[in-house]
Amino acid sequence: MNTLNSKRRWMPYLWLLPSIVLMAIFVVFPIAIVFKLSFSEISKSGIVGGFIGFKNFKDAIGLPAFKTVMVNTFWWVLSVVGLSTVIGFALAMVLNQKFHGRKIARAIVVFPWATSLVIQASVWNYIIKFEYGNLNNVLLNLGIIKQAINWRSSYTIEFIWECWVGIFVTIPFVTFCVLSGLQSIDASLYEAATVDGAGFWDKTWKITVPLVKPSLTVSTVLNIIYVFNSFPIIYTMTKGAPANKTDTLITYLYMLNFYDRKKGPATALSVIGFVILCICAGIYMVTVMRKEEEE
Amino acid sequence: MSPEVLKKQNRTALLLMVTAVLLVAILLSLPAYVFRAGVYTKKSSNTVVGDEKYLSVLDEVNAVADEYREKGFDVSVSESVTERTNSKGETTSLVTFNISQEFTRNGWSFLGAGLSSSLILVVLLSCTLLSLACAVAGSLGTMEDLPRRLDACSSMLRSAAGFFALAALILVPVFVMNNTVLFSRKLSLYNAGTVTDGAEAFYRKIGAFLFGDSAGEDPSGALKGLTFHSTAAIWLTVVPLFIMILAAIQLRHGSISETLMRGLLYAFVLVVCVVTLYPYYVMLVSAFRSNAETNDMYFLHLLPTKWIWSNLQDIVNRGVLRYLLNSGMIAGGATLIAMLCGIPAAYAMARMNFKGKKAFLGFVIMSQMFSPVVLLIGIAQLMSTLKLNDSILGLMFINAAFNQAFAIWLLRGTFVSISPEMEQAAKIDGCNTMQSLLRVLLPMAAPGIVTTLIFIFINAWNEYTISTVLISTASNRPITVGITQFSSFNMIEWQYLFAASLLATIPVVILFMCIEKHLVSGLTSGGVKG
Repeated sequence: MNTLNSKRRWMPYLWLLPSIVLMAIFVVFPIAIVFKLSFSEISKSGIVGGFIGFKNFKDAIGLPAFKTVMVNTFWWVLSVVGLSTVIGFALAMVLNQKFHGRKIARAIVVFPWATSLVIQASVWNYIIKFEYGNLNNVLLNLGIIKQAINWRSSYTIEFIWECWVGIFVTIPFVTFCVLSGLQSIDASLYEAATVDGAGFWDKTWKITVPLVKPSLTVSTVLNIIYVFNSFPIIYTMTKGAPANKTDTLITYLYMLNFYDRKKGPATALSVIGFVILCICAGIYMVTVMRKEEEE
Repeated sequence: MSPEVLKKQNRTALLLMVTAVLLVAILLSLPAYVFRAGVYTKKSSNTVVGDEKYLSVLDEVNAVADEYREKGFDVSVSESVTERTNSKGETTSLVTFNISQEFTRNGWSFLGAGLSSSLILVVLLSCTLLSLACAVAGSLGTMEDLPRRLDACSSMLRSAAGFFALAALILVPVFVMNNTVLFSRKLSLYNAGTVTDGAEAFYRKIGAFLFGDSAGEDPSGALKGLTFHSTAAIWLTVVPLFIMILAAIQLRHGSISETLMRGLLYAFVLVVCVVTLYPYYVMLVSAFRSNAETNDMYFLHLLPTKWIWSNLQDIVNRGVLRYLLNSGMIAGGATLIAMLCGIPAAYAMARMNFKGKKAFLGFVIMSQMFSPVVLLIGIAQLMSTLKLNDSILGLMFINAAFNQAFAIWLLRGTFVSISPEMEQAAKIDGCNTMQSLLRVLLPMAAPGIVTTLIFIFINAWNEYTISTVLISTASNRPITVGITQFSSFNMIEWQYLFAASLLATIPVVILFMCIEKHLVSGLTSGGVKG
């Protein structure tokens, strides 16, 4: 009896073991390594020296591009997450209506989600080329413009294009999150509201938005993290050029580590990014856990 | 509504349609385009405006202009002055006199011209007339019926009336845009000599349309300085066509506002779909162009002039199949590992109670946040310690580990939603836990498992950042890294880049479309994203 009991007690951990081992090695270990490196002296060739306190962090913050990069990261996350949430929400409202061809429309909307970011970025890179890009070709052919337009005349505009591609690939995720929330809303609520004389906006603000809020929170927080971590779009379209003016934290630390060989500050930036993410993750976790408890 | 009122209402709608068709006919007979073509140029150098030489040349030019006027042409004289300093240091002017002929063409004159615009106009007019015909035919003998009591045939005819009117409406901007391309873009490219294919036939056609028989065999000279603009008349045809749509809606549904909302909805969905598909269109057509065409800034066409299928052969020769195979292996291996580790963990989380369950769940959710990108440096270090860098196996493990959270989360959701009674029954029948999991729970959870499986596969297939850091041997590259070999700093082989992208995209998009329906229900239970 005793053995059975202790077996019972140990069983769950045995079932969890493969998963724990996998994540311990490939997720937890790299975290530990990054933290250790950020407090160590690292030579250009990657030889790790002793503990040097916060010197790497001071170096990182002292880099000339640091401020630009942080501001860019802020705008990148804010614009991509904000706009894709608004557009995705509207799109979900529309796709939740019954109409002919809804299935096809849904299948098409999901396309950018299934496509690799590096491919998506390459295509847009070609589309907005000034000399021979497809956008100029199409607009000229439609007679909408008379002269080819330089779509990337300054780095600010290039950064806006990068944000657009970010929005473009993020919309499907928001749409489907909101859609899953919308589908769980009881239709009788709307009918009752209609009987009470509520208009479209009343129904949207007083029924739809509050009930979709949980899905919206999940999608927004996850998006903040994914967009923050997004690397291929900026790396493919501008590589952060000119002079880190279009870099975000992630692309910058990549360039710093693998091109400029400033490994110390790069690991420090990694840790800074990680801490920012952890704060977001913490907020997210609390929300989800609370939701779990409610259920 | 009484039959009398309905009859009156329907009659008004039909009357509106007839009026609208007449209006379209009238608008088409008004001048639609104003052209201005140069017929005579005289340059006079070393003069000053107002001096003798200038006056004599002006007289000469005016005489020529009068000659044209006598022949019945509407011509005007214009002059432009360029200041110059000659070799003696005196400032003189170069005066250029232009006699240009201004003339108009109305909509009807396009009909017999044999241009692409003529065809569009024919279709536009047919649609308008068909719309009217359908509305009349659909109302014969049913004028007093409520819209919802109509028999199938008349309701179909009335709907068709609306659709034909809509088609005609859409064709108006198509017509105008096509004219812009004909008289502006194509003409200027031919004039500049950047495009020469089919120039002669093009000049002859346009010349015959604009100048009639007087154009002669080579009208290209007269077309050099052609300018034109459309008038309001051609755009105004949109108004009666819109009225026709409204009248058709009135006939079909009785209520207009609801249908208009519906129309807006379709328009919105259409715009979204067009924008979404646009990059895929670019990928598709660019993949089959020649390199010269992908880099041609004067490229005229929306589709490749010749579909070059050998691009596919070329990329295969450059190792794309190997990359696809690698991607398949990485994604397949990662999925397998993630599922082998994830299913037992999810099972334990769904069916067992133990200490630290909540902490583990918290960790799972947290780890969903850790994109491998921010840990890139740590991962690179770890992999070289484990001797797993530059290997497909290493990428399998990394992808599996970073998708583990998602696997557990989604599978747990699936397992929880299935009642444990069946498994308990199986256990009473003598199965152990393992057997009940394999024989009872997994088959029941199949849809959720397939969704998870495909999702992890796609995530791993599309992964780029880690692979680009870890893989240095060409033969180990996955496709996402492999396609970057077509774009170097000085030259990008767009056609190969897109052909390879196409091959990398098609399978995952199809897979994704398969799980799209399940994804909507799966998403509520937890966060998912690639």
